[in-house]
Amino acid sequence: MKLLKKELRLALSPLTPFFLLFSFMTLIPGYPILVGSFFICLGIFYSFQSAREAGDILYTALLPIPKGDVVRGKLRLTLLFQLAGFGLMLLLTALRLTVLRGGVYAAVPMLPANGTYLAFALLIFLCFNVLFVGGFFRTAYALGRPFIVFTVAAFLLVGIAEVLHHVPGLAFLAAVEGPGLLLQLPLLAAAALAYALGTALAGRRAIRRFEALDL
Amino acid sequence: MSLPLTVKGLCKAYPGFTLDNVSFSLAPGHVTGFIGRNGAGKSTTLKALLNLVHPAAGEVRFFGLDPAREEYAVKQRIGFAGSAARFYPKKTVGELAAVTAGFYESWDEAAFRRCLDRFALDPAKKLEQLSEGMRVKLDLTVALSHHAELLILDEPTSGLDPVSRDELLELFLALRDEGVTLLFSTHIITDLEKCADDILYLQKGRLLFAGAMEDFAAAYLLYEGPVTEEQRRAAVGHARSRRGESLLLRREDAGSFPAEGLREPGLEEIMTHLEKEAETP
Repeated sequence: MKLLKKELRLALSPLTPFFLLFSFMTLIPGYPILVGSFFICLGIFYSFQSAREAGDILYTALLPIPKGDVVRGKLRLTLLFQLAGFGLMLLLTALRLTVLRGGVYAAVPMLPANGTYLAFALLIFLCFNVLFVGGFFRTAYALGRPFIVFTVAAFLLVGIAEVLHHVPGLAFLAAVEGPGLLLQLPLLAAAALAYALGTALAGRRAIRRFEALDL
Repeated sequence: MSLPLTVKGLCKAYPGFTLDNVSFSLAPGHVTGFIGRNGAGKSTTLKALLNLVHPAAGEVRFFGLDPAREEYAVKQRIGFAGSAARFYPKKTVGELAAVTAGFYESWDEAAFRRCLDRFALDPAKKLEQLSEGMRVKLDLTVALSHHAELLILDEPTSGLDPVSRDELLELFLALRDEGVTLLFSTHIITDLEKCADDILYLQKGRLLFAGAMEDFAAAYLLYEGPVTEEQRRAAVGHARSRRGESLLLRREDAGSFPAEGLREPGLEEIMTHLEKEAETP
């Protein structure tokens, strides 16, 4: 808890909580709303950037904690904002599927807010944790390259999500009601499992890399 | 009682630089100056002690404890300050202390308040508003608030004006009198003359001397005057001087030199002669 407190009070960029507002892209009709997940990650990236400029990595490493806790602190901050963003997206998706059903949301060609959308949002978050967080802790300094790699992967995922539901036989991925919606649940569960396991593995790898680093 | 710090055979290799088999120990309640030119390996040594870089070989013990295995216990008992470290410029002194306090089991809020008063630190001030000297004092405040028994300071006087430097050195002496052990790196020789009990002298990654400062100064004599090639070969360092040439001699090698040309060298003269000799191909 003290690690997260340190992240929130010393290392957090004010842009990070602000960028949670991109969760509300879930409500935009006829738009590739998955980019909202990318922007939430961009907000977290700003906290990594401001922490680096503030000497946060070295300061934390000098505290009486195992060196790996430097990585754990950053991961906890990342998970906090990803899960807060996901929680908002989940609520807004539920709103689109119930109260706001029909109207401007009827028959749009883009992926709507549904189980598939939430599953791909989790996969984008997972990409951030593996490619950006894992990549950053190769050096604990270089931010640009891992973020570019993540950006490419994230937009590929957005593209895949937008194309898949047009493939014959996969129209259920864009369903907003009925049995199609239920068919999305295994996909969402698999994405949640991949997010949890992938993030845990990425964290362990990032800790190993960081512990081997000379600061 | 275990010594505050013992180091045996510390080695670290970078392209173009090697820290070579550095061994020393710190006496409790002493101020030890860690000297050497820029690039001699002082910061690398200090970082290796603090587990920030991985030595290729060697053994480090703080109070008899292995910092690699007992990092938590060791870091509770030591404090670090470095002039190069500029942490959290937009945060205030109070914010930094409030967070840092949570990591130390022996954090003493009353001691923290006393240090703020003693060093005239305003808890509402942003860290970017603090001068170099005040930043070092903040680091010392944090260290003293968790009752650090050993302070490791990386060039704490670098960038300070002479008055602030003197003030800081007097503070080191006051801390020593309170029983705190200090190890501070510097390339400013007058810092040592002011407050060091012992010195560690690092040259190109090798420890040339570790011991009492008086012993270091007493080991040499300086000869100024006309010199022969044979005399030059007997010297451990030479430089040009107003009177022709100056040679740094080990005291035991000075017998053959005219007494009128011999005198006690200052620390700065010893260091400049030794460094110039090291540069000679």
